[in-house]
Amino acid sequence: MAQPSLLPDELVQELMAVGQVDILVGIPTLNNAATIAAVVKAVHRAFARYFPRDRTVLINSDGGSEDGTRAIVRDLSMDEADTLLMRHSLRTVHRISAPYHGVPGKGSALRQIFAAADLLQARAVVVLDPEVTSVAPEWIQALVTPVRNQGFDFVAPIYARHPLDGPLVSQLVRPLVRAAYGLQIAEPQAAEFGCSGRFAADCLEQAVWETSLAQYGIDLWLTGHAMAGGYRCCQAPLGPRAVAPGTNRPGLAETFGQVVGSLFALLEAQEAAWIPRAGSEPLPALGPAPPPPGESPPIDGERLLQSFGANLRDLRSVLDAILAPDTETALEEASRARPDRLRFPDELWVATVYQFLAAHHEGVMRREHITQALLPLYLARAGSFVLQHAAADAASIEADLEALALQFERAKPYLVQRWTRTTPR
Amino acid sequence: MAQMIANAVSQAGANFVESIRLFLPRVVTTISIVLAGWVIAAVLRLAVRWVLGWLRFNAACERAGLAPLLKTADLPQADVLVSKVVFWLVWIGFLLSGVDVLGFTVLQGLVASFVLFIPRLVVALGIFVVGLLAANFLWRATLLTAVNAHAPSPRLLAGGVRWLILILAGAMALDHIAVARTIVLTAFAIAFGAVMLGLAIAFGIGGGNVARRFLERQFPGDRPEPKGEDVSHL
Repeated sequence: MAQPSLLPDELVQELMAVGQVDILVGIPTLNNAATIAAVVKAVHRAFARYFPRDRTVLINSDGGSEDGTRAIVRDLSMDEADTLLMRHSLRTVHRISAPYHGVPGKGSALRQIFAAADLLQARAVVVLDPEVTSVAPEWIQALVTPVRNQGFDFVAPIYARHPLDGPLVSQLVRPLVRAAYGLQIAEPQAAEFGCSGRFAADCLEQAVWETSLAQYGIDLWLTGHAMAGGYRCCQAPLGPRAVAPGTNRPGLAETFGQVVGSLFALLEAQEAAWIPRAGSEPLPALGPAPPPPGESPPIDGERLLQSFGANLRDLRSVLDAILAPDTETALEEASRARPDRLRFPDELWVATVYQFLAAHHEGVMRREHITQALLPLYLARAGSFVLQHAAADAASIEADLEALALQFERAKPYLVQRWTRTTPR
Repeated sequence: MAQMIANAVSQAGANFVESIRLFLPRVVTTISIVLAGWVIAAVLRLAVRWVLGWLRFNAACERAGLAPLLKTADLPQADVLVSKVVFWLVWIGFLLSGVDVLGFTVLQGLVASFVLFIPRLVVALGIFVVGLLAANFLWRATLLTAVNAHAPSPRLLAGGVRWLILILAGAMALDHIAVARTIVLTAFAIAFGAVMLGLAIAFGIGGGNVARRFLERQFPGDRPEPKGEDVSHL
């Protein structure tokens, strides 16, 4: 059952008026006035078009917006076409906006959404990112259907994107999660996902909500919890994901620290689940095939590489405590090449990541410093990969990303051996 | 006359023998105290090393960044260093107690002064160790932040932060044990002021462009973001 303190009295009253629901869509917000209307409209179109007979509710959990986000959610009126569409719906359309309390961050918002889903005994829950401008009603359909019709517990999205897009995901997060959990998931930390009411209720019982993992890495934690907990997981192709320009997102250093710190902390917390697994198997993708990837993103590989040698020299005393001597030597040798000829091989990158992860586990220094020290190496690897594949077609880049993922899997015994020989400090 | 001289010599001899008779036990006692003190200090040294080993003190020092500093200063490992300090403090205490037993007027009160000095010395060492820890933590944080922010000369910047804190901690520790208090304070004030003035002049003359870039980054106004920064890595 939901904890009463998670749901303020006014929200409980509104939820009681809604009654039991089949589908609950949750949108965590914080100052998203510029983009929230389009997301809310897409949700209502999805309710009317794809789920006219289901009992549905949209819940906006807000972190204290000062730009009128909540008012927009509450008072948004549909245009003529939408109003006509709504008439097809056999059910009342419910829309609730409430502030959440507790630790600031997306984790608290999701906790409130899950608590509401638990109270309303929702069969399927979908969470959307309010900053995404490409949300379509089909996204909600794609995320709900596997849960409602096929009994899946967790639905991760597949975005249509160029293989060079999102290098932090393709070079680090995706292959590491795949090697650890043994499941080939495309977007391990997507902000959009679907899940069953059973999964949401189980998440509520976990001791994660007051931690920094919930504050900065709740998307990763949810994926990890679904894969580690033996839940039925699948993927749903959604299409391209576009974020509103000028959105106030943190800079690269902060984003990298949050993502990699959360990923390392997740593996620390779920070691019993991932250590025994070997190899990997594909995760079923349900729904229509995704459209072909778009244009190559405008990433300047040479720019990412430009300070690699100097960074290595500056960080030597820090890296000494983290990396094995042969890895450090190999990095120094690689850094001596001209930026346009610099190569950061898969084996070296995987060894680097695993040694950082082991150092994080061993606690050789403050853990934030370990993830901070990985950033310059990641930039060099991403820059090298982008330069190497500047003229390559999407298929050959995908093939090389698959080779990288397999290298992560092959080298996993080394990580497990280092991991299990030490106890964290 | 001769008898008087003979009596005086005899008396002096007797006095000498008497003082030797009185002094010899004190010497033996002193030697015993010193030897016993050495044994006790050595046992304590072993015990302290064992306890520190059990507490994984070296690993903690490694994590806090103290170990590389000790290595740079050509000092032994942290547990050996602490146990040596304990050994010498205890043995010097016994040594002074032994000397006190001899009853030399000029050395009277040394033990009392030493006992009074120990707490101040321990606190001063504590101040310095905390300073070392803070210096190392801030050195690493500054280095990593500067590298990731593409700031010029990250090592110089981080090294400056480390030495500033070490000098501050050293001055505080010396001030606490009242060693050359006036000189230490004056030297510190002059050095600190000189460093700050030097930095201000250097930044003003040589770092105008850096300052402008920094301020422009902090208050971007309507300028577009630098190329590449707007690319999402996610």
